[in-house]
Amino acid sequence: MKLTKTKHFRAFSVPLLQENPISIQMLGICSALAVTVQLKTAIVMSLSLTFVLSFSNLTISLLRHVIPRNIRMIVELSVIASLVIIADEVLRAFLYDISKQLSVFVGLIITNCIVMGRAETYALGNPPGLSFLDGLGNGAGYGSVLISVAFIRELLGSGKLLGYQVIPNLAYKLGYEDMGFMLLAPAAFIIIGLLVWLQNTLTGNK
Amino acid sequence: MSSYAKSILFALITAVICSLLLTAGAAGLKQRQLENIEVDKKKNILRAVGLLESSAAVSKEKIQEIYKQSIRSLWVSPDGQIMDAATVPEKSLPIYLYVKDQQVAAYILPINTRGLWGKIFGYLAIERDGSTVAGFTVYKHSETPGLGGEIEKDWFQKNFEGKQILDRMGNLVSVSIAKGYLPDSFPQDKLPNYVDGISGATLTGKFLTAGLKEVLLEYEPVSIQFRSQQTIQIEEP
Repeated sequence: MKLTKTKHFRAFSVPLLQENPISIQMLGICSALAVTVQLKTAIVMSLSLTFVLSFSNLTISLLRHVIPRNIRMIVELSVIASLVIIADEVLRAFLYDISKQLSVFVGLIITNCIVMGRAETYALGNPPGLSFLDGLGNGAGYGSVLISVAFIRELLGSGKLLGYQVIPNLAYKLGYEDMGFMLLAPAAFIIIGLLVWLQNTLTGNK
Repeated sequence: MSSYAKSILFALITAVICSLLLTAGAAGLKQRQLENIEVDKKKNILRAVGLLESSAAVSKEKIQEIYKQSIRSLWVSPDGQIMDAATVPEKSLPIYLYVKDQQVAAYILPINTRGLWGKIFGYLAIERDGSTVAGFTVYKHSETPGLGGEIEKDWFQKNFEGKQILDRMGNLVSVSIAKGYLPDSFPQDKLPNYVDGISGATLTGKFLTAGLKEVLLEYEPVSIQFRSQQTIQIEEP
């Protein structure tokens, strides 16, 4: 069987594009607006979410036969919350400046619908390996949108990428100006909207 | 075992495991985090006197080095004397001096005041004339991101540079944060004592205004000395 046809590959690849959590399922938009002013914060946020998502999926999938049905959501939530706090603590220890910029948004991964959604709909009914890949795939799907948005916003909004000036000084002398609007939250809304439009047109979704 | 008992048992076990993991994580990383917080404070002190650009990426070691070279951490007794150590610990205030070419170029006051949702921590640097604000920074707060949280942003903090804590008559009036942007019609003679506020964060501005005034009143004995152009003695360590 070809690699692209295996169940494991599909668990990872479907959420990347066809079932992208942001552009198709419209989940996790809140953080996508807040942390995409700079590429750096968007990348760190994507990595944190991917970490939380894949390990919460893995843990919940491992426990799926023993979790009592009536308290399953509470259990899911405590697993997710613990992972989020660990991610936050690690960021504070190793990437202090970025963690300050991300402020509450790492903590708010707890309430990110993607994490709880995947735990409920996927991890509870699938084996650990597949669940972990599903988590990675969704994290990567989320990250790819976040990073594209941040790329556009940082480039047009402040003329930089990852904090380095990429638009040459000459351009500014010739009258080029940064788009201040790109630094505001509504700009992210518009870019996400355009990305959704682009994806739907390309894939022929109506 | 009944299903209730099973649920409770399971919840208990989950809680214990989660809390153990969190405790281990928090305890293991604590040292590094404290160090980061320490460096961040120093960085803010340096930024307050303009020794460091906020956007510049500077290594921890470099920050420690610049700090060691230019900043002296001292105490102020209640009557405004600057001392090496706090003799009356409860009544002494911490102060930082920016030393440039063996002379005090500015003094830096720690800000620790009420905000809307929690405390606001930062630094206010005043030049040696005892009146001109050299810079203002915030390193920790719990204001709403995007609204009151803007106090940590450059555009807001830059507004403080060059403002006066004295009015024209020489009375201490502190620097106040206006409600929203200062209008063009704002009286010229009051302009040096006001900075642009943040729309949507009037209360944060109010609390911070009151807090800055409070801190400046506390340190007034020191400011008076600077104003009278007394040379502040600092012996080399």
